[in-house]
Amino acid sequence: MSSEADIRAKLRRWILVRAQAESGRELHDDTPILEPGLLSSLDVVELILFIESLRGEEVDVDLIEPEAFTDLNTLYDTFFRARAA
Amino acid sequence: MSALAPEGTDASGTSETASELAERLSRASVKKFWNVYAAIGWPDTVNPEAEWFMSPELVSIHGTEAWERLDEPARRRLSFWELVNFFSLTLQGERPLVQGLCNQMYSRQNAPITDYIHHFLDEENKHMVMFAEFCNRYAGKVYAQKKVALTKSYQRGEEDVTFFIKALIVEELGDYYNVVMLRDERIAGIAREVNRIHHEDEARHIVFGRRLLRELWERYAPGWPPETPVGLRRWLAEYLRASWADFYNPSMYRDAGLEDGYAVRQVALASPICRAHRERSSQKLLDVFRETGVLNEALEL
Repeated sequence: MSSEADIRAKLRRWILVRAQAESGRELHDDTPILEPGLLSSLDVVELILFIESLRGEEVDVDLIEPEAFTDLNTLYDTFFRARAA
Repeated sequence: MSALAPEGTDASGTSETASELAERLSRASVKKFWNVYAAIGWPDTVNPEAEWFMSPELVSIHGTEAWERLDEPARRRLSFWELVNFFSLTLQGERPLVQGLCNQMYSRQNAPITDYIHHFLDEENKHMVMFAEFCNRYAGKVYAQKKVALTKSYQRGEEDVTFFIKALIVEELGDYYNVVMLRDERIAGIAREVNRIHHEDEARHIVFGRRLLRELWERYAPGWPPETPVGLRRWLAEYLRASWADFYNPSMYRDAGLEDGYAVRQVALASPICRAHRERSSQKLLDVFRETGVLNEALEL
């Protein structure tokens, strides 16, 4: 399992590339990532698959609330923190 | 969602109204009524390495380097998991379709088509039973969908238009695969049979969905502000790409024995060979969207 900083950096980079964000744009840990932010609801499917590739196991979407996709903090807390503990 | 618009003249020139069409389709559904628990002779077991389960040309990485690296048994094994994924994503696409159709029943405006919606629901429910039986019996699971529902606000009629666009995408793409496989004598008999049964019901659902989408578009789109069709077309392009991306399921690749399913998916999605397949398979669907006016330019898939 990668470190928290490593996972956050990978998530940050993936979101900015997916959103085709302009060079130099910053994504803070509490920056909203869904519309009208960076990603559309359809991008969320891709994000979940990327998260699964980082975790090495599948995500049970039925157990996930939409609020999990608020920002980097909620992504990390939902999908990685419990596993790192 | 608001009520549908059941009456009107077809833009293609036929004078048959949606309610007349619904009556005709209902008679066909009664005539072809079938029992999902008795209609199919399920083999006790299948052998994924000994038989094809999906036509090789439909396998998501067909023609790519990853495909060339696989030997024949591995290609057949992948075709089995591809079919499980195809049946799973069709099943998962039919769930919201059933939910949305239920919401359309017994409104005053939809009285003329409610009888047919009963058949539509019955047939979609049977399809889900059939697909789940195949997946659970031979693969031990149905692949989960990864979509997360987010709330969205709509212009008047836009939600109904969106609903039938989604319905047509799952049905038309699925039907393209069904038709290829039901005719393919190389693949396992049970795979051909399930594809044939699904196609026979879906042919009616597609006629109905196309007709209603056209009527809804003609009724509501002229009253929308200019940004609404622009946003809808942008959403449609993204939704269609996302629907195609479901065919490249990392879990499916892993189950078939391919290393790093996520990487296989990324390579396949970017492959010009795979894109050409998506465009070829989407042709009829895109023609429908262009003929109704929902689309006004080509899409890159």
